[in-house]
Amino acid sequence: MAEQARILIADGDAPVRRFVAALLVHGGYEVHEAADGESALQKAVSLAPRLLVLDIVLPGKDGFEVINSLKSNPATSRLPILVLSVKDREEDVVKALDLGAEDYVIKPFSPRELQARIRKILERSR
Amino acid sequence: MDPVRLLMVEVVEGVGVFLALLTFAIVINKALREVGEALDRHRRTLIEPAVFEYLGAASSRPQRDALPRSSSRRDRRLVEEFLLEAARVVKGETRDRVTAAFEALGSVREAIRALHSRRWWKRAEAAERLGLMRSRTAVAPLVALMSDPEAEVRIRAARALGLVRGSTSIRPLVSALADPSRWSAIRVAEILINVGVEAVDELLVAYETLPLNARVSALDVLGRIRSLRAVGLMKQCLSDAHPDIRARAAHGLGLIGDPGTAPDLIRALRDTEWPPRAMAAKSLGRLRDPAAIGPLRESMRDRQWWVRYNSGEALRALGPEGLEALIDMLSSDDPYARHMAVAQLEEGRVIDHFVADLTSNDAGKRAAAIRFVDKVTAAARIDDTTRQAARSAQEGVRHALSNILKTPSPAPASSPGKGDGGRS
Repeated sequence: MAEQARILIADGDAPVRRFVAALLVHGGYEVHEAADGESALQKAVSLAPRLLVLDIVLPGKDGFEVINSLKSNPATSRLPILVLSVKDREEDVVKALDLGAEDYVIKPFSPRELQARIRKILERSR
Repeated sequence: MDPVRLLMVEVVEGVGVFLALLTFAIVINKALREVGEALDRHRRTLIEPAVFEYLGAASSRPQRDALPRSSSRRDRRLVEEFLLEAARVVKGETRDRVTAAFEALGSVREAIRALHSRRWWKRAEAAERLGLMRSRTAVAPLVALMSDPEAEVRIRAARALGLVRGSTSIRPLVSALADPSRWSAIRVAEILINVGVEAVDELLVAYETLPLNARVSALDVLGRIRSLRAVGLMKQCLSDAHPDIRARAAHGLGLIGDPGTAPDLIRALRDTEWPPRAMAAKSLGRLRDPAAIGPLRESMRDRQWWVRYNSGEALRALGPEGLEALIDMLSSDDPYARHMAVAQLEEGRVIDHFVADLTSNDAGKRAAAIRFVDKVTAAARIDDTTRQAARSAQEGVRHALSNILKTPSPAPASSPGKGDGGRS
């Protein structure tokens, strides 16, 4: 069931990461956190989540590099990625989608909308 | 026992006891902190669902009833911390409920009280919290805080007002643009840019009352917000008596990108001062109106390097027709226009494209490439082409280029110095 799905959140901003994690736990998901690009890549492999919620601004490897690495690795190439970022420029959104992100949500966001988008991605990737 | 020795033993014992007590205190402190953190985590897991229930609720149930009921200071702090985390990332109806929760919990009242603290960092921190809480009741105290003697407190108050929004909070920010002695205009401008379209009306209303430096900043902010509502003022400012205003207005029109302003910007290419001409050229590149190609070609002959550069860049941005105009400028009788055309064609990698065609199997392409390189050579700015002739990865290109450069075509009819007096 989608409600049991494991989700990895990679966000360099601890309060934001905590809030999004709490929101998804409240939504019934199993949530894991990564504070930087490198640990996001490691956890994406070791935890095999159903979805990665990824910020673009990350310490070390940025979100674009993380998407690139995940999509070029056969073990993680099918992992759906939802970008959740404060970067709202058209070129950033297009770049993330072109690299293979499933969806792009700009901060600040509506919690209900984020949950709906996550639900849809998980349904599609089932 | 020897009294000296006795004293030494007592000193050692004393130090030992002190160190033992210190270690004990550190251990206890650490343990208490860890217990406190564990308790926080535990309480938070109990509080979070209730706060989410409240944030996600669609009913008009009183906030106080919906929020977790607890009289402990720990729980109140945790709820406030959690709401502050939410305040950073949520929007819409949920954001309004966060603000209502802060008001119901008394957090806004408490932060307003902290604005009167004697310690400046506490005032600054309280201002920042009030910005996240976005309560309208904080506007008046934050406006008052903009006269704080501490610069950091003033700027945090300004940022907080920018987050609270609404005309009563934006008006003092617009006024702050006019007071460079107490404010960094750049920081205030950034705050207003972040406010976005909500700041436009206040800026438009206040514009005429602002001094020159603030009017320049206001035009910059309006341009960066990119509101079409500012187009009328910007167009009017193209005829202002002050060149800085005209230049900033021309720049702003390019940022806004209203295609209807192309004729105004084309007229601004003939301004008596070079900054408005340069900005008009840059903006025409952003608008990409083909009608600007002719006037931009003319501006490639301008007395000022920046005008020529922006005109060339604008032509490049205009696509194939603009590039065609730049290639045509290689035959201009004006050496400065020719040089700028070469520079722009280099930057746009058009020269590379033609040079690569020198070894094409297609005879037509080869001939076109030779004609093009001939034009570049005749434009008398062949540094890059000479470098390519020496270093190109393809032997055929090196050879073909060397041959052309050894026998350059005659320069256009005019003498290179014609009309150059006073050019930068």
